[in-house]
Amino acid sequence: MDYTIWSVGLIFLLPFMAFVVNTVIVKRFTTLAVGISCSAIFGSFLLSLRIFSDFQNKFAADYHIHKVFNWMNLSGGDQTFVVDMGVYIDNMGSIMLLMVTGVAFLIHIFSTFYMRDDARYGRFFVYLSLFTSAMLGLVLSDNLLSFFIFWELMGFCSYSLIGFYYEKNEAGDASIKAFMTTRIGDVFFLLGILAIWSVVGNVTFVDIYRFIGENGFVGKTADLSFFGTVIGIPLATFAGLAIFMGTIGKSAQFPLQVWLPDAMMGPTPCSALIHAATMVAAGVYLSLRMYPLMEAGNLNYFIAIIGGITAFGAATIALIQTDIKAVLAYSTISQLGYMVLGIGVGSYTAAFMHLITHAVFKACLFLSAGSVIHSLHDHHTHEHVQEMPRMGGLRKKMPFTFWAMMFCTLAITGAPFFSGFVSKDRILGDAAVQLVNGWKWYIPAILGYGGAFLTAFYMFRMMFLTFFGEPRDKELYDHMHTEHFSWNQNLPLLVLSVFTFGAWYCGSFTGQSIAKVPGVQNKEWFSTLVTKPDVNNFTHYQKQPWEKVDKKSDLVFEKSHYDASHGLEEKEAHRVHHVHVIGAIVSVFIFLGGLLMAMMMYYWKKWNPGRWTSAFSFWYRALQNKYYMDDLYIKIIIQKGLLNLNNFLAFLDMGIYDRYAVDGMAKVNSWAFKVCRWFDDVIVDTVVVDGTGASVRIFNVVLRTFQSGKIQFYIFMILFVMVGYIWQLNI
Amino acid sequence: MFGANLLNWILWLPFVGVIAILCIPKGKENVIRWTALISTLVTMVFCAVLYCKFDRSLGGMQSQFEIIAPWIPSFNINYFLSVDGISALMIILTGMLFVICIGCSWKIEKMVKGYFALFLFLEFTVMGVFMSLDFFLFYVFWEVMLLPMFFLIGIWGGENREYAAVKFFLYTFFGSILMLVGIVGLYYMSAEVPSIGAHTFDILDLSGGKFSDMTVNLFGSEWNFSHVFFWAMFIGFAIKVPVFPFHTWLPHAHVQAPTAVSVILAGVLLKMGTYGFLRIAYPIFPQAANHFADWIAVLGLINVIYGALCAMAQTDLKRLVAYSSVSHMGFVMLGFAAMTTAGMNGAVLQMFNHGTSAAMMFLMVGVVYERSHHRWIVKPDGSLGFGGLYQQMPKYAIVFIISMFASLGLPGLSGFISEALIFIGIYKAYTTITVLALFGLLIGAAYLLWMFKRMFFGEVNEDCKSYSDMNTRELVYMAPLCILVILFGIWPAPLLDFMRASVGNLVTLLGNY
Repeated sequence: MDYTIWSVGLIFLLPFMAFVVNTVIVKRFTTLAVGISCSAIFGSFLLSLRIFSDFQNKFAADYHIHKVFNWMNLSGGDQTFVVDMGVYIDNMGSIMLLMVTGVAFLIHIFSTFYMRDDARYGRFFVYLSLFTSAMLGLVLSDNLLSFFIFWELMGFCSYSLIGFYYEKNEAGDASIKAFMTTRIGDVFFLLGILAIWSVVGNVTFVDIYRFIGENGFVGKTADLSFFGTVIGIPLATFAGLAIFMGTIGKSAQFPLQVWLPDAMMGPTPCSALIHAATMVAAGVYLSLRMYPLMEAGNLNYFIAIIGGITAFGAATIALIQTDIKAVLAYSTISQLGYMVLGIGVGSYTAAFMHLITHAVFKACLFLSAGSVIHSLHDHHTHEHVQEMPRMGGLRKKMPFTFWAMMFCTLAITGAPFFSGFVSKDRILGDAAVQLVNGWKWYIPAILGYGGAFLTAFYMFRMMFLTFFGEPRDKELYDHMHTEHFSWNQNLPLLVLSVFTFGAWYCGSFTGQSIAKVPGVQNKEWFSTLVTKPDVNNFTHYQKQPWEKVDKKSDLVFEKSHYDASHGLEEKEAHRVHHVHVIGAIVSVFIFLGGLLMAMMMYYWKKWNPGRWTSAFSFWYRALQNKYYMDDLYIKIIIQKGLLNLNNFLAFLDMGIYDRYAVDGMAKVNSWAFKVCRWFDDVIVDTVVVDGTGASVRIFNVVLRTFQSGKIQFYIFMILFVMVGYIWQLNI
Repeated sequence: MFGANLLNWILWLPFVGVIAILCIPKGKENVIRWTALISTLVTMVFCAVLYCKFDRSLGGMQSQFEIIAPWIPSFNINYFLSVDGISALMIILTGMLFVICIGCSWKIEKMVKGYFALFLFLEFTVMGVFMSLDFFLFYVFWEVMLLPMFFLIGIWGGENREYAAVKFFLYTFFGSILMLVGIVGLYYMSAEVPSIGAHTFDILDLSGGKFSDMTVNLFGSEWNFSHVFFWAMFIGFAIKVPVFPFHTWLPHAHVQAPTAVSVILAGVLLKMGTYGFLRIAYPIFPQAANHFADWIAVLGLINVIYGALCAMAQTDLKRLVAYSSVSHMGFVMLGFAAMTTAGMNGAVLQMFNHGTSAAMMFLMVGVVYERSHHRWIVKPDGSLGFGGLYQQMPKYAIVFIISMFASLGLPGLSGFISEALIFIGIYKAYTTITVLALFGLLIGAAYLLWMFKRMFFGEVNEDCKSYSDMNTRELVYMAPLCILVILFGIWPAPLLDFMRASVGNLVTLLGNY
């Protein structure tokens, strides 16, 4: 097929145009606007499907499309500065496109059910379209700058959607929290872009890969100077770390995970979108795209540790949540931790696969939760119920939702034959493979396996509390309607739950073909196509302008063969294979353990959870307070630190500097004026000027008396003068 | 059609408007308003003509628009107008903002005639500053501009208007005097430069780094002429920008000024300061500009961080926006310090973008002020001044969101591109400063969102229940700004093509020293 602006650009443009059109018409023609949004995303889905099938036909690991156009030209004088934008799709991108459009389309469909009675039904779809288009733009981006633009745009959409119920003050708080927390990461991401730009000259992925391939980062440092002391950090580490900070923010990794649980203030379908297909996936996608840089910067262990802490820590918090959406929110954080852990341990393919599988089952879980919440309507408060202590026994009334949720729970907990098992287990297996590299690699591996146990426990806890047992809030239960199959409530759930089977993603049901012994042929599309970008391939790379139509015959690609040994030596391949097999068996037992424990507590009710919470009350309180991280950030750093600093500076500015220094200058001046005026008034004016005048007046008075006009006086004066004259002569 | 005299038209049309308004009898207030609107609109049309006829490939002054006539021949002072990419951009911004400001001052009831006459007179002087290439003429416009501003703040301002007006006047005047010293110094020095040869006020003749190795005798010792006079100019312009230690007039002036004047103040007058750097301080003293680039970068950084932190503490809505202007103008200074293509283009673009986004923010403040007659985010007694405006005024909320996100530099809206370019430009030379300045972006988002949350979320405040949503007039004058902000955020090429040749020339010049 040919890749032109119409066949590729439309994937992004269709939802974007829907957004533009809908902003105008949403008030009057709500239904039409909803229809436009849904059909736009469906159109994108079809186009993505076309691209996906093309990539499947090519079936070559290094097949990719790259088209650029000129976005900015700042050349002038003797300087040149050009910024190109473009589209870059490789195998990973094509899979991502299909996932995003597919999941987003189903979420759109579900939203027509969930949001129908909302007063701002239409507006929700406006945001939804913008959100999806931003994510699609991000996936299509060929460079970090446009990636960043869409990345931030998604931040804006999540801000709007989390604050969707603007009557609630908490929605406002949650939306700010989400935007600001992710923006901390974004700012670092921007810093990483700048650092790369300073040496590569632009931030196109292929140029960055090429630069790494030519060992361009070797010897380069980022020089930070503080009052003369210069600290030189290796540039690849600096830039890689900065970009990974972006992932930490967007994908809710420790220590910036605090925003994601609050993000469920938004409507449930938007939570599904944020938690599954778009926002948080973008962070992991970024780290995958920049994987060669992370490797060049020796960041693997750091990334693995962050991922491990997140995977385990979030799972522990999820253990005690009572809100059904909160459980899912923490499970999202935990699963994202697995993806990041996967990136850290070099499990590139599996990390991406987990991104895809997680997107599918987490979207389904959230939509199912939405379906549950929507049908539980409290007639006293007129609110939907999200608290699991008031649910129970819903299995009988909501069979479709139950089965969809059950499949997804099996997937996320890593039950064999389900997608989560395939992807998560490979990550954990690769974490175990790293153990030979030193004791420090034990930490992420143990955190990962431990988190898997907790995942199995809390997910089944959620299932048992929601769907099994006796209804705990009888009134609520009785008011509830029995679920009838409806196309926009249940169909999306069922479609998504079909894709929780592992067979879609790997050739074998057990998923144990990550590193086969050489000689064994096993065609597995996912790990054949998605491989670490080989930076050496980009050394002689040419970009294609938009105008040039990409003809099939231009590009001859050899079909990929599944290199079962992944380029490893025979001995090493054997070892990797063995570790993976052992890891898989361990995983199965871990899954069964978690399941068993959940059943003991919540199904058979043999163990009383209350006794556990009182026995570990210190930890229980810590978990309830989410390890006090919110308190640390908000109460101490922001309220105690930042706001006081601000007030102090503002006081300094207006209260001290302006009042005393600036107005003081005026005071000094007016003092000087006063002295001048005194000098002017008293000395110059009174003494000199008025003195001169006064002296004239005195003469005037004296002389006037002489000019009286009386003849007698003149005669007297003449006589007086004459007498005086004579008298003087005599003397 | 108007080729040769286009700049004359743009410059004098507002002045014609002033005369016309003065001739209209006092009672006919609507006639006065319409006259003002029409005269700004026609000026705007001429600005559009300028945009179309502008030759984007030329880096220097555009001879097709040049107007030169002797004014005071005995001192070699000329009436010399011309434009290049930078000044033409500012002229277009000015022309556009004045139309919008007439729209938003439609409801002024106090001394309508005087207000609109002074307002048009302000446009006349601002246009003059951006066009004149004779230093004396430039100075005359620069100074005369203070007159309408002084009265606009002092008569139509808030409760503390006299103080603010006097402060604004004195502060700026102090800077102007330093600039005057610079002008006179240049005038006398110019004869000693072989390549100029005669006393001149011609900015083009003076620029090009001709004063690099001259010395001047001050207080009994020899000083580098360009260093000393660069600082004289620098302080003169820095007060207008405003750069950090000279910024305190801005919150006072903004808080007291009526909405339209705030818009012009933030949108155009602050740009006169940065324009002064680009047109005068940098081209005339490129060597000194390079020499002091570190200082400029540090001052810019302080502006960015300090302005943002101060903004966060404000409880008065307008004062918050005023401090955010301080912060955003700091980015322009950072771009100037970078002296690279990306940095300089980013800085000029930021001048334009701040012109639109700050104008939007002030207009939004004005809209709510017309209804509430107060601007407290948090009242002095600790209660919220507004609350639940999202529910009460949904249209207002949408436009406010666009303005706010344009102001905090959301990608996809115009502010981001300029800030990103500035950062790209400055990173190599000042890595540490870049890292610190990036936190300005963070704080910038924090105070705006926090303000928005306190004003718009939650249930509607008792006081706010009577507020009506934005009316058609208000929507009409906000619409063009919203569209431009989005358009230039996605496709900045129309602006960049306009100025890049001129900016490139400046960067080349600066690079030679």
